[in-house]
Amino acid sequence: MAEVLARLSSRAIALSLGALLLVAACSTGGSSSNQSASSTDVTVWTAWGGAELKAFRDVLAPFQSSTGIKVHLTTNRDSTNQIANGIAAGTDLPDVAPGPTDPVQVKSWVSKGAIKPIETALGDQFSAYKDNTYPALTTAPGGASDDVYIGIVGGKHYELMVKTQVKGLFWYNKKAFTGQAPKTFDDLLAINPSQYGAQKLFCAGFESGAASGWPASDQIDNIIMRQSGDQVYTNWIQGKQKFTSPEIKLGYQTFLKEVSAANVYGGSNTALSTNFGKAGDPMFKTPAGCLFLEQATFITSFFQQDFPSLNLKAGTDFDFFAHPSMGNSQYDGNVNGFYDNFAMYNDTPAARKLMQYMATKDAQQIWVNDGGTLGAIKTLNYTDPIFKRAADVAGSAKNLLVTAGDFMPSDMQKAFWQSLLNVTRDPSSLDAQLKHLDQVQAAAYATS
Amino acid sequence: MGNQIITAVIAVIAVPLALLGYIIVGEQIIERLSDTLQKWIRPYFWALPAVGFATVFMVYPLLRTVVISFRNNDDTDWIGLANYKYFFTFPDTLTSLRNSLLWLVFYTSISVFLGLVIAILLDRVRYESLAKIAIFLPVPISAVAASIIWKFMFDYQPPGTPQTGTLNALLGSFGQQPVAWLVNSTTNNAALIFVGIWTITGFCMVIISASLKAISTEVLEAARIDGANEFRIVQLIVTPLLWPTITVVGTTMIINALKTFDIVYVMTNGAYDTDVIATQMFSQLEHNHYSRAAAVGVVLFLAIVPLLIVNIRRFQQQEEQR
Repeated sequence: MAEVLARLSSRAIALSLGALLLVAACSTGGSSSNQSASSTDVTVWTAWGGAELKAFRDVLAPFQSSTGIKVHLTTNRDSTNQIANGIAAGTDLPDVAPGPTDPVQVKSWVSKGAIKPIETALGDQFSAYKDNTYPALTTAPGGASDDVYIGIVGGKHYELMVKTQVKGLFWYNKKAFTGQAPKTFDDLLAINPSQYGAQKLFCAGFESGAASGWPASDQIDNIIMRQSGDQVYTNWIQGKQKFTSPEIKLGYQTFLKEVSAANVYGGSNTALSTNFGKAGDPMFKTPAGCLFLEQATFITSFFQQDFPSLNLKAGTDFDFFAHPSMGNSQYDGNVNGFYDNFAMYNDTPAARKLMQYMATKDAQQIWVNDGGTLGAIKTLNYTDPIFKRAADVAGSAKNLLVTAGDFMPSDMQKAFWQSLLNVTRDPSSLDAQLKHLDQVQAAAYATS
Repeated sequence: MGNQIITAVIAVIAVPLALLGYIIVGEQIIERLSDTLQKWIRPYFWALPAVGFATVFMVYPLLRTVVISFRNNDDTDWIGLANYKYFFTFPDTLTSLRNSLLWLVFYTSISVFLGLVIAILLDRVRYESLAKIAIFLPVPISAVAASIIWKFMFDYQPPGTPQTGTLNALLGSFGQQPVAWLVNSTTNNAALIFVGIWTITGFCMVIISASLKAISTEVLEAARIDGANEFRIVQLIVTPLLWPTITVVGTTMIINALKTFDIVYVMTNGAYDTDVIATQMFSQLEHNHYSRAAAVGVVLFLAIVPLLIVNIRRFQQQEEQR
């Protein structure tokens, strides 16, 4: 071996090696430079796939043809983490991508200048955007200068709202439930399902793979925000309200009425083992397994997809009523919603144009026409009667409140979701669960 | 993206070339030294790159993990044993510790025992290879796919409706109520461990079977002539001769059990008290508690090291016997 090697000209090898390493060093060094501000190209990341992605492409098509700007669209479900890494490492960021949900991240990215104000992106169109969009998505309550849950920091907006959904709606099969929508939660619980030929009052499905428990968390969120008010609700998200406090405990106890063996189809094991997408299926069986399913606006596509033979039509075959009052009329205007937003990470002419376009009624009308969502603008036209009414619910909301778990530290969120599964399985464990959640809360917020 | 590919290709070519250059240039220098010096220096010279790689990619991260486990989450201050105290006192982590112990005992003992029994029994039948294929079949299935298959098997529907899960359908045919296997805390850990055993028994069987074939038939014949029945032969001859193999397979299974992650993550994600150490470590990382995750990693590492040492000793003994 040594002789063979020795016969090779070592100097030639060393030279070529050196050259190669130099090339390698140059090529790695080059990639970290930022791309120049483009007026013809814009890179966009989104977490959407399937029908949602198709709708977004439909929205982008007229923009591309009228401006000549090329949109480089990438579906990236890990976008927040990758952008966080990009900001830390100083590498390329997409021009336009969803803003972060974690309040700590929102503030930190704003202070680092990583996300640019919507005021800058929209220019003189900003005031029109603010006037047209649901106030709950653009205005901090009580005129505060900060509301990180909707991307407002220091009086400036950092998230452009494009779509929204309403949660906490009670869906029913119109052929089964023919009564009046209950005014209060107690009225709802007082409905006798057998009067309408159904086995139980509610259906529920809390299984969702690694995220199991979130549908249950939506239910308790909608209870707490109407029962104890938005201040308690927001404090709770921020870790300032203990789980063992009377307000949150009352929320859990009320939630347990919805999933009690007497009220939920198939008992707790069924609620815990059923995937959220299939939860509503028993409503459409004969005889009906249950009367109501509490879920967000997006659930309608699951009904239609699970019963292709019934050819279910929104508004004629199934409908919803808004979450009934918890008996505290001052909090009836609290509505649970979530939104899709875009933030601008590179201030380029093309990125500004795209942001300006997505804030227009024309763009959002395309989103809405493709179905399955509400726009962020108040005055869009909905052909689907369900979404028309959901838009009314969103429009009449005094506060559009975010989903609690999504804005808690992630270990708190996981423990919160799992606690709901545990108390559903064994209601007598409630006190132990709440005590445990206080422990997690103390640890989670201390390090976040 | 294009740049990344170029960088990757250059790295793949440049690193071996740089090593080659190191050897060529170094050898030329060494050859000019005196014979005694050459003999002394050459082994160190050749071992240095390997030692260097191991240091950079294994020893350094290991030491760093140990260091981080004693520091706060931002790596700015020493916090002593706080992360370890958390691990050994917090109810969630204690549950995961208990479950890992369950995995260790039941997953290891049952998979090795079944592997041994199946290997011995199949050794005596004519359709051995066919049966072996059937039992080995789950081994190449990825743990995620196996978990999803078994999620269907364990599926639960309300009592009185058609059961889509195979197990509950079976219970139903005997007139029994369906069981929510993955929700019920008396069955869920057992169900998960069972999936683990299903995926690994074939592996244990194949290794033990190979070792079984190496036992000389003359020994067994002699025992039979001496009047030993088959049970005595297995007990007094086959098992002792297989013991080194069983130890190696057993320790490998213990390491597997301690590292268990995918089945639990896919099937329950730790809900209903099914977390194990590895899922616990993952969720600490996921929740940005890096120093706590490091502490969990160190505990896991310390639990596995003695087993690795046993395994390496066994291998050495086997080498010496040859």
